Amino acid sequence: MKKVQRKPFDTFRFIMRKILLVLLAAIVLFPVFYMISSSLFSASDFNNLRLLPSHPVWENYTKALNQKYFIRYMFNSIGTSLITAFLRTAIVILAAFAFTHLRFRGKSIVFAALVLTLFIPQEAILYQNYRTVAGMGLLDTWAGIISTSLFSAAQMLLLMGSFKIQGKEIYDAARIDGASDPKYILSILIPLSGPAILTVGIQTLIVSFNSYLWPLLVTNKNSSRTIQIGMTMLGFSESGQLGPQMATLVIVTVPFLLFLALAKKKIETTLIRR
Amino acid sequence: MREKKTTKKYHSQNKAYLYLLPAITVAALFYWYPSLKSIVESFLTVNQSGKILGFAGLDNYRRLFSDPAFINSLKVSLTFIALFVPANTFITLLAASLTRRPSRLSFIPEYIFFAPVAVSLSAYSLLMRDIFRGQASVLNNLLGTTFSGITSAAGAMAVLVVLGIFLDFGLDYILLICAFRSIDSSVVEAARMDGAGGWRLYWLVEVPMIKDTVLVTVFLALKDAILISAPIIILTEGGPFRSTETVMFYYYTEAFRSGNRGVQNALAALVLTLAALIMTIYTTYKKIKEER
Repeated sequence: MKKVQRKPFDTFRFIMRKILLVLLAAIVLFPVFYMISSSLFSASDFNNLRLLPSHPVWENYTKALNQKYFIRYMFNSIGTSLITAFLRTAIVILAAFAFTHLRFRGKSIVFAALVLTLFIPQEAILYQNYRTVAGMGLLDTWAGIISTSLFSAAQMLLLMGSFKIQGKEIYDAARIDGASDPKYILSILIPLSGPAILTVGIQTLIVSFNSYLWPLLVTNKNSSRTIQIGMTMLGFSESGQLGPQMATLVIVTVPFLLFLALAKKKIETTLIRR
Repeated sequence: MREKKTTKKYHSQNKAYLYLLPAITVAALFYWYPSLKSIVESFLTVNQSGKILGFAGLDNYRRLFSDPAFINSLKVSLTFIALFVPANTFITLLAASLTRRPSRLSFIPEYIFFAPVAVSLSAYSLLMRDIFRGQASVLNNLLGTTFSGITSAAGAMAVLVVLGIFLDFGLDYILLICAFRSIDSSVVEAARMDGAGGWRLYWLVEVPMIKDTVLVTVFLALKDAILISAPIIILTEGGPFRSTETVMFYYYTEAFRSGNRGVQNALAALVLTLAALIMTIYTTYKKIKEER
């Protein structure tokens, strides 16, 4: 490779680009930086509009953790998102299996009807869904929080793509060897489509852990709320105590930031097509 | 023999529906049924407890459009869409463009631009509420500015646009950066040989090659802009003076605070129609593209 002589104009543009990049990165990072910094503020630091704590204090974290409902909120969040991820992944696997491996009457109609759900924004049917869930007596329950997010047509299409690649030969061979469908799904299909299924599961886990609007609507009692709802109404903000609220945000957000650092390479290799 | 074959086929059919039953149940209960119910009930008079009182024709729609609060929310939503969609596309494309060539240290800005996907909607909303809490805010203190933040009508709209960008930034950036890196490097090299460099290379070779991904991010931004409601509940409660009351926030308050079923159903039916229309346009475009 020969060394290319940079023209003065190119150098200027190179520097401008770097400045722009640093500026943009600083802006994007700012809220997260402020969240971590202000979680170490003392009450007066908030009033003095500081950027960094005058002297870091940890009491916001102890206050957040000792908040009456904190553990309960976290328990509800982790419980509902794990169950949602597990059930939705299972439901989507079964549907994708049926569409890619079996022939049956009405296949194209059922398929079209399921894909149709992609066209329906849940925000527009919130009220009707609320009535349904309330009518079933599921308000303030985990089942109520989970109910509306147990299927995703987008994820079904993703898995169908992965299942199709394997071809029907393995399925036919397994059938001849006497393997039942559940056995085939559990011991052949799922292991072979590992990455795609893991993507679906993790995606669902994060989305449902972070969901806000639906859990807000179907929970009224403190004991049944999730952390995403809880942290907006922990009762800290009224008393002028932003510190514990920021500490709660850090506790909820940092695990995902760490996870992202680990998953970043994986995301890139899946999405970059060469 | 023939009979056996039919029973086997029949059996296989039952089996398929057994596997599809959970998916169909969820889709029917929480997608088809509520959509149909909204559309049908938008033409009926329904009382608070859900009892059908009679045929209403277009009365619910008339009431919706004669409500000044709804007309206001339409204006707010259109303003938000007009500001948010271009701003979001510009910022995310800028971030992806600046980092499109991998280098030894590029993992640092990449991680920073990935990071917003890890921050939840309510976390960003709470952070923005505090960072832009008024004239006396950490940001004004830092920059020496006097931005009114969420306390004025124009300021609240600006903060909402910023919040919207943060909520969409991570995913859009991931899609765009991966699209840039998927470009066949030999194409870029060939263009370089032909003397294209800098701006010309970027606009005439690279951007056209990621056009489809840009379109996806624009489409997602449009969808999010039309449907935005949850961040407003935390950030401004629609205020000050209804200045951030978008259509879907109006829907939320109508349905859950004033309990106005007729108006709420009419609005739901309209949004469902709009969503279907936009998705149809988008999928048709994609199909035409793929066939070519």
